Amino acid sequence: MKFLPYIVKNIMRHKLRNVFTVLSIAVSLFLVTILYAYVSVQDELAAKSVQYNRVVVQHAQGLTFPVPLAYVDRVRSMPGVKAAVPLSWFGGKYKDDKIPFAQFATDPQTIMSVFTEYTVPPEQLSAWQNDRTGCIVGEKIARKRGWKVGDKIPLQGDIYPINLELTIDGIYDGPETADKEMLWYHYDYFDELLKKNRPIMAGNAGTIFVKVDSADRLSSMMRDIDDRFASSDAPVRSMTEQAFQQMFTQMLGNIRAYILNVSLAVVFSLVCVAGNAMAMSLRERTREVAVLKAIGFSRTTVLSLMLSEAMLVAMLGGALGVFGAKTLFDWTDLTVSGIPGFSTFYVPWSTIGLGLAVSAAVGLTAGAIPAWRAAQVSVVNGLRKVV
Amino acid sequence: MPDPSKDALVQLRNVSKDYRRDSIVVPVLSDTNLDIPKGEFVAIMGPSGSGKSTLLNLVAGLDRPTTGTITVAGQELGQLSESKLTRWRSQHLGFIFQLYNLMPVLTAYENVELPLLLTSLSRKQRAEHVQTALRIVGLAERMDHYPRQLSGGQEQRVAIARALVNDSVLLLADEPTGNLDASAAHEILDLLGQLNEEFEKTIVMVTHDPRASRRAHRMLHLEKGSFVETELDSMEAAR
Repeated sequence: MKFLPYIVKNIMRHKLRNVFTVLSIAVSLFLVTILYAYVSVQDELAAKSVQYNRVVVQHAQGLTFPVPLAYVDRVRSMPGVKAAVPLSWFGGKYKDDKIPFAQFATDPQTIMSVFTEYTVPPEQLSAWQNDRTGCIVGEKIARKRGWKVGDKIPLQGDIYPINLELTIDGIYDGPETADKEMLWYHYDYFDELLKKNRPIMAGNAGTIFVKVDSADRLSSMMRDIDDRFASSDAPVRSMTEQAFQQMFTQMLGNIRAYILNVSLAVVFSLVCVAGNAMAMSLRERTREVAVLKAIGFSRTTVLSLMLSEAMLVAMLGGALGVFGAKTLFDWTDLTVSGIPGFSTFYVPWSTIGLGLAVSAAVGLTAGAIPAWRAAQVSVVNGLRKVV
Repeated sequence: MPDPSKDALVQLRNVSKDYRRDSIVVPVLSDTNLDIPKGEFVAIMGPSGSGKSTLLNLVAGLDRPTTGTITVAGQELGQLSESKLTRWRSQHLGFIFQLYNLMPVLTAYENVELPLLLTSLSRKQRAEHVQTALRIVGLAERMDHYPRQLSGGQEQRVAIARALVNDSVLLLADEPTGNLDASAAHEILDLLGQLNEEFEKTIVMVTHDPRASRRAHRMLHLEKGSFVETELDSMEAAR
């Protein structure tokens, strides 16, 4: 720590050069953080969902085929099922949004028994349950869009030939990994409009979410549900909520490998940029390094000082990049921006930690060769160079 | 008969130094012997290329002799590894350069504190040492100034304070007045004389300046790698 002022003053020696180095690292780490956070969020959501003992039931041929609503009651009657609700994606257009945010038709009487980690004030839940055209929205989307209880939410149908006129009756909250950017409204209201406008589409649910009484029963429950509807016109395929979420990531192909490769390329270019800046800086200080050694600084101390300098610059850029990404995505509504796949997106702390570790590694790698060369400077030659 | 060389702080025995440039061997010092007792102020003069700076570098342990032994403060330098030699240098030597070689990004205080960062002294203890050293060189009031805010003479004073701060027994000065005007050079020589007389520092100074050399107890003339010794009485020289 006693060398810190010397290290900081050396960094401040070439302000413009170091500002550019820090910025290049910050921008690159910002982008890598976003890419990596996407994968991390999917993993984290999937991992956290395990603890809630939920099973998702969809049509055996995929999400584009609905399951009959009658299945909900039949699933509810099965032993080991605590609760089950229909969850139908509406995908309506809100004002000028290019990409719809998540809107689901569901059963307001039962939904909180399935998604037990979510909370909503009792009076708001009651108001919603008694308001046929009411809805509740997540805390995050309400905050970003400035919505409050009583606001009207008009949704123009895209997949379905109906328009919804909803009123916000409540705002739900939940843990960090919970999706707090959804809107839930009455399935009955949705189905009623479909019966009027396109009866053939009525009476179906996109998926059924099932709350199972224990984790031990998840496997047998999925098998039982699948078997129960196996010989019907609409056979189903059940999966854990974790598998359901991972399915969406897999739809994008081997995105994990793409992200890893792009990140590695970015890190390599960062090492080159930071290494070049560090090499220039140390080349200009050959005489000073020789003086340090003449007055008793060992090779190890010189090496440590130079590496610390490189790491500090890189970590400063890294911190700007990763915390910049965290701040941006905590306060920006990406559903408005129209970027697909970002309805539930945040930068996990694990990604922040990884970003900082990567920036430290960039500093260490970039500084290694210049610092080693500085440590090897012969005092006699270093001093002679000046004189 | 007691051997006077036993009291020598610096002792060179049969020291020679060659430099190799490609396949050509260039001898710089040849079979040199020298004893410098503790508390002596020695000036080394000689033309360019005579081996003055090489000699200073060898005594400082910055370079190794081709043959021979160098003993400083009882320690034979050839027996020390590179890292031990570096540590030894930080504890026993103070180096004063012609171009001052202060760190431009550090204040006078921080420059003087630099060698103490290698010790286990606390911040408060370091502060006491630095303030004392700056007071001795007469720059206590300018400790917060950066090198660019100081005159050449003041910069050299800071460099002397840096050489003094770890209370080293031996000060090695390589052309300490070579970059100064006559007035500043005079002040620096006065300061070196004071350090020698009041603080009993042993000083080895390489110089081209005959006036500077007259401040020393002893002037050694180096030509083509060999000494020609001249005794001077410092009081006489001062007069």
